[in-house]
Amino acid sequence: MSQRKKAGPASQNKTQRRSQLLLEEDEDATFSQITSSQAQRARENFTSDQIDHKVAEVVQFILIKDQKKIPIRRADIGKHVIKDYKHIYAEVMKRVCRTFEQVFGLKLVEIDLKQHIYILINKLEPIRGQTVSMHPGNQKMGLLFAILSVIFMKGGTVKENLVWNTLKKLRVDPGEKHDEFGDVKKVVTEEFVRQKYLEYGKIPHTEPVEYEFRWGLRAEKEVSKLKLLEFVGELFDQDPQSWTQQFREASASETSSQST
Amino acid sequence: MSDSRRRSRANQEESGGSTNGVGGQNRPERSGDMGDEDDIGGGPSGISQEDDDPTRRREIRSKYRDLINEVQQNREDMLNPANNKLTDVLEEANKLFANVRQAREAALDAQLLVLATDLGKEKASQLHAEGSSFDPSAFAEHLLSFMDLNRLEDESGMDGNLEGYLPEGAWLKLAKRAENCFRTAPAFHYMLGSFLAEPPPPRQRVERQRRVPSREEKRIMPTQLKKMEESHQEATEKEVERILGCLQRYFADDSEEPISYYEFVIDPNSFSRTVENIFHMSFLIRDGLARMYLENGLPYIAPVEEGEMQPSGAAVRHQCVISISQESWREIIDAFDIKQALIPPP
Repeated sequence: MSQRKKAGPASQNKTQRRSQLLLEEDEDATFSQITSSQAQRARENFTSDQIDHKVAEVVQFILIKDQKKIPIRRADIGKHVIKDYKHIYAEVMKRVCRTFEQVFGLKLVEIDLKQHIYILINKLEPIRGQTVSMHPGNQKMGLLFAILSVIFMKGGTVKENLVWNTLKKLRVDPGEKHDEFGDVKKVVTEEFVRQKYLEYGKIPHTEPVEYEFRWGLRAEKEVSKLKLLEFVGELFDQDPQSWTQQFREASASETSSQST
Repeated sequence: MSDSRRRSRANQEESGGSTNGVGGQNRPERSGDMGDEDDIGGGPSGISQEDDDPTRRREIRSKYRDLINEVQQNREDMLNPANNKLTDVLEEANKLFANVRQAREAALDAQLLVLATDLGKEKASQLHAEGSSFDPSAFAEHLLSFMDLNRLEDESGMDGNLEGYLPEGAWLKLAKRAENCFRTAPAFHYMLGSFLAEPPPPRQRVERQRRVPSREEKRIMPTQLKKMEESHQEATEKEVERILGCLQRYFADDSEEPISYYEFVIDPNSFSRTVENIFHMSFLIRDGLARMYLENGLPYIAPVEEGEMQPSGAAVRHQCVISISQESWREIIDAFDIKQALIPPP
């Protein structure tokens, strides 16, 4: 497999990125074309040590890629780490998942089955009063929480104006620079969207164009709707079950996530 | 009645080319035949004149457009579950549709329908039949209280003006509590920090020091070069003028005695100067400011008088190539016994 050297992501403009995406899609397609017999034969080509070494490399790659919380694409893993070991990709990934679960207490979840992107989530349930990490990016969790709650409580889709108005009441104005969050509009519509916490889409048939917010794929897997509803209940001093529809949805998603 | 018919006929003739109704092509022909009676089953397309009436059609179209605008502008209002405005719009559209005969109006009707159904969908999704409602403003207020918002003593304003300010760690407090709802994987970082903190700063400093002097040098360079270049370009012209001046001075002193070309250009002290002189002389001759003539087999030069100058005097002009070598240069010096240069060096 030839190793093509490409310019770094910072210097790519849109057309380059698109063509690179197409190339990577081709590379990615070969993943699915590997038959099990090919995989079997390929596995015999490598020693157990080599495979373990490759597994360690993939684990490290994913851990570092996850720092920014941007989902990791299978094509990237293939291009940068796996390379020649493509045919035993399935075997390697199986061991990678096991390592994550047993060593780190993390789960590697494929959030988009079509585009094959992964995120890391915590396998362990968070305990009240204990901070998960001292990461400074944590500040934005509060902002994200507020937005996600509003979307969830309003049925899963809200128009962007509702979000902006709610934020304004929280003294966060998307038009101004915020002391802690900076360019709020950018953080919400770009950063959170890229991290797949939120989805920001156009509402069809609107003139001028309006946008709406939804939960992103990462949020679906990472956020516990039940716990979120609990917190909202605390804030309102109301029983979470009083929001029957939301409660039902939260319980359903809780059981489905526990089963995986 | 007949007036309106005539008017509509005139309108038909004008708008015959622009409308895209099915009967459009037939119109110019039929307008000649028309009488005052209604022509049912008129042209080959089977569309009666009544249905084709452009005024009526324009009316219908304009009404449709009004409805569409109304839906778009008053979107929020239509979505309000408290009223039936959306249903009213649909009923209006229904009535209008009864008069629609051709594709153009039907397209507008379809557009209106698309808008209305979108709104209908949104309105339906707003129906939360069960459970208590959720008010985002109240939610925001509760969040602010959670973040220990310091409300000012006199709460004169209610919702409009945002009184009070959030304390320092407000969002951090919210983040900590909200974290609890997330199953975020902790971000990977080295526990003891990175080793590589030291080397980069010194390198930057050295580079900066090096860079500064070179920038200044570069700045000096272009200005110097520019000056030299300018002087170089003018040098030839200046030289030529200077030599012309010399020639004219000599001739002015003694207008009778012709000046030998060789005596004039040769510099017994420098061969290169001689060559330059010959070069500059050739400019003078080319420009018609001096002339060279043969006398007794020897070349003589003389400046051209003001009046003698013929701008288009190409008839008398000859071309020749003059060459000189060091040997011949010395020979001429010996032959003519040239002691000093007639053209002083610059």
